[in-house]
Amino acid sequence: MIHDPDAKPDPVAAPGQDRYGPGLAVFARAWAKAVTGTSYLPVTPAQLEEFLEGLTVRLVEALHEEPFSLRRGYQIGSDLVAAHIASAEGLGRTIEVIELRLLRDLGLSPAGPPTAASAGSPDATSGGPGSGGPGPGDDLRDRMARLLGTVAIGYARALRDRTLDEQESIRRAAMVAREQAEHALRESEARFRHQATHDPLTDLPNRALFAERLAGVFERDGRSGRRLGVCFVDLDGFKMVNDTLGHQAGDQLLVSVARNLRRGAGEHLVARMGGDEFVILVEDTTCTDDVLKVADAALAAVNEPYVVDGQELRVSASIGIVERPVAGTTPSDVMRAANITLHWAKSSGKSRWALFDPERNERELTRYALSSAMPAALERGEFCLDYQPLVSLCDGRLLGVEALVRWRHPQLGVLRPDRFIGLAEETGLIVRLGSWVLAEACRQARRWVGLSEKAPFVSVNLAVRQVRGPGLVKEVTGLLREHDLPPDRLQLEITESAMMNTADESVDNLRSLADLGVRIAIDDFGTGYSNLSYLRTLPVCELKVAGAFVEGLRAPATEPASVTDERILATLVSLAHTLDLTVTAEGVETATQADRLRAIGCDAAQGWHFGKPMPPSLVDALL
Amino acid sequence: MRRPDWAPETIDIDRPSAARMYDYFLGGSHNFAVDREAAQAMIAAVPEAPLIAQANRAFLRRSVRFLVEAGVRQFLDIGSGIPTVGNVHEIAQAMAPESTVVYVDIDPVAVGHSREILDGNERALAIRADIRDPDRILDHPDVLKLIDFGQPVALMIVAVLHYVRDEDRPTDLVGRLRSALAPGSYLALSQASGEGRSPAEWDEASAVYKRTDRPLHNRGRAEITQLFDGFELVEPGIVWVPEWRPDSSHAFEDVERAIYIGGVGRLR
Repeated sequence: MIHDPDAKPDPVAAPGQDRYGPGLAVFARAWAKAVTGTSYLPVTPAQLEEFLEGLTVRLVEALHEEPFSLRRGYQIGSDLVAAHIASAEGLGRTIEVIELRLLRDLGLSPAGPPTAASAGSPDATSGGPGSGGPGPGDDLRDRMARLLGTVAIGYARALRDRTLDEQESIRRAAMVAREQAEHALRESEARFRHQATHDPLTDLPNRALFAERLAGVFERDGRSGRRLGVCFVDLDGFKMVNDTLGHQAGDQLLVSVARNLRRGAGEHLVARMGGDEFVILVEDTTCTDDVLKVADAALAAVNEPYVVDGQELRVSASIGIVERPVAGTTPSDVMRAANITLHWAKSSGKSRWALFDPERNERELTRYALSSAMPAALERGEFCLDYQPLVSLCDGRLLGVEALVRWRHPQLGVLRPDRFIGLAEETGLIVRLGSWVLAEACRQARRWVGLSEKAPFVSVNLAVRQVRGPGLVKEVTGLLREHDLPPDRLQLEITESAMMNTADESVDNLRSLADLGVRIAIDDFGTGYSNLSYLRTLPVCELKVAGAFVEGLRAPATEPASVTDERILATLVSLAHTLDLTVTAEGVETATQADRLRAIGCDAAQGWHFGKPMPPSLVDALL
Repeated sequence: MRRPDWAPETIDIDRPSAARMYDYFLGGSHNFAVDREAAQAMIAAVPEAPLIAQANRAFLRRSVRFLVEAGVRQFLDIGSGIPTVGNVHEIAQAMAPESTVVYVDIDPVAVGHSREILDGNERALAIRADIRDPDRILDHPDVLKLIDFGQPVALMIVAVLHYVRDEDRPTDLVGRLRSALAPGSYLALSQASGEGRSPAEWDEASAVYKRTDRPLHNRGRAEITQLFDGFELVEPGIVWVPEWRPDSSHAFEDVERAIYIGGVGRLR
């Protein structure tokens, strides 16, 4: 659209230019001067004059052409615009200079075409402006008027077209620029969004995007039977890599692991949750197997060897898996379950997956609930003791009772010790609970002493921590004094494991207690290490033989296994008697068992056959 | 969301553009009503504004002709604006068709229009960049496609630096560009000077340009001379642009009022 006379010089050298003599150049110079400054002309003044000389010749030719042609004027006007003489001022001055000077400067008689002789001397031709009346001069003036008219028309048309073209072109450029800017903005927004939703190290989706996608699974409607799966992946021993090879190596490893995981997980979303935790979302599973396949592939992908800093590394991962129907769960439930399951995988040996098990989870939740409720329950007095008779096998006399702790849970009912003693040991509450049991048992024992001369001793189980505790002797001494309880009415049952390390305080504790006259019994004898050496050195007075051996005595005496158990029991009894210890058999449930134990020479028995654990009021009746 | 730093600016055609006002002064129609309105306000302040723009454009034309005659075949035109009549590639390629030209402008509309004009011309292209980021220009793959910095280059910075603030250190910017040039390269530069005009005129003109996308920062002859540091000025040195190698006697009636001062220098 830009037409540059520099580039394509117009054919200005019209034939017969010389015919017009010096007047032509004079006129062209005047014309050039008139239009200079009306708009920017990308040519030298000399080029402009040359161009306008050419136009001048065409103007003169047009004036004399027979028949007169409108097209000539249009073309000249249009060529002016094309040469960038393209403004209202440019047109006005062009018309002015032509009208004023063309005929005069070129010595043109209004009557006819100029001759070389007449050029520059207007008076030399007839029919000059002064000749008067209609004639050829009038014709030339008519033609000049019409020519200028057509030049103006051609010029105005061309200028209008040019203006419209330029407007169109600049608008198009603005539109394109705006589109590009918008496109760039969209791209930058996309980039921004990518940054906001991806982990910069691995370029995996981050926690935010994962949460969004997981929430999407729950928002999307579809068949009510839709299911989903989540694999919560955690590297095993990643901290070691960081600590030994440095964080940079750790980061390199994470990048490689991320790449492998992404490949291993196929089309499923893999996100980095932070650190060495990753998660795989498996949408629209049909069954648990679908997720297990993904988990297997993920484990295999992680297990591939890595080269970090020139060293070959191998890592494994543990995965917690949840797979369930979408209905009836929530994103946070799913994630919590996956996280719990990951810990199961870790605690069962790492480098494996574990599948969420609602029952196990329920148990753990209950344990947790019990464990946290126990201290307050102890404060509120929710614990109580039942007592189980220990009966002499010789004469059926009631020798003692074993105190068994119960928890009257407001929601769960009466809980037996196997539900909560382990928890109390984990949390350390066992010491306070054990003290309470000891105190309550002593109180009760004293009550029975008051009721009967044949009052039973009360046997109390001590936890390992109690036995090792520095305050045990003082505690027991205090209780005996407080309740004025004869020491031989208190028996303390300790497990073999409490005796494992005879070097610590426990031995001294037990000696001191035995010196007081308190009975010491070994509980569950025969199931632990059954170290015989402490039986020599410790002030033990009784062995309680675990129910497992007694169980064998239920079977007919002809069965080999039963015979074996009976022989073990007989040996134990014989051993105990050698050491001057009595033997109590636990878990005696039938008369046959009682008879066989009596035949072996076992001193006492405990079990349903002789009485279930019972509240203290029922013990009263046995006195 | 706050627009991040690296997000591009949007196209605001409701604001007068210095590039399109310049086109209007040259007689072009590549402009919008807001541009014409601002240009007319400028003409009210400085009636010769169109003539001044034309004189500057003529300086560009004469300097390109001079440079082609001096043997330069590569042109880096920074701040090329709206490619109205008499563009560098038209002048240079008419004289030496092998000449290559890269146009650089900050105005996305100007660049868009340049690309339309240059469509099909394998030896000329336009990029969008800011003269205040010379490294981006020098490292731009499109620039490197057409310009071999091992050969002489004509660096055209015509009627641009008065849009750059002193804080942006125009001398350093030119210096950075110069450091990429091979010996025998040239700098053709002009910029608005504060000389030859009354403070009142300047205030009025500045007020007009404050409304545009490019406020004005004029500089004195000494400062403009400093921009040529490292270049050997060719005759006639740093002058009012109509005085630089004029090709006609009736160039500009009162050169003192031509606002633009400029010149051409050769890198030793």
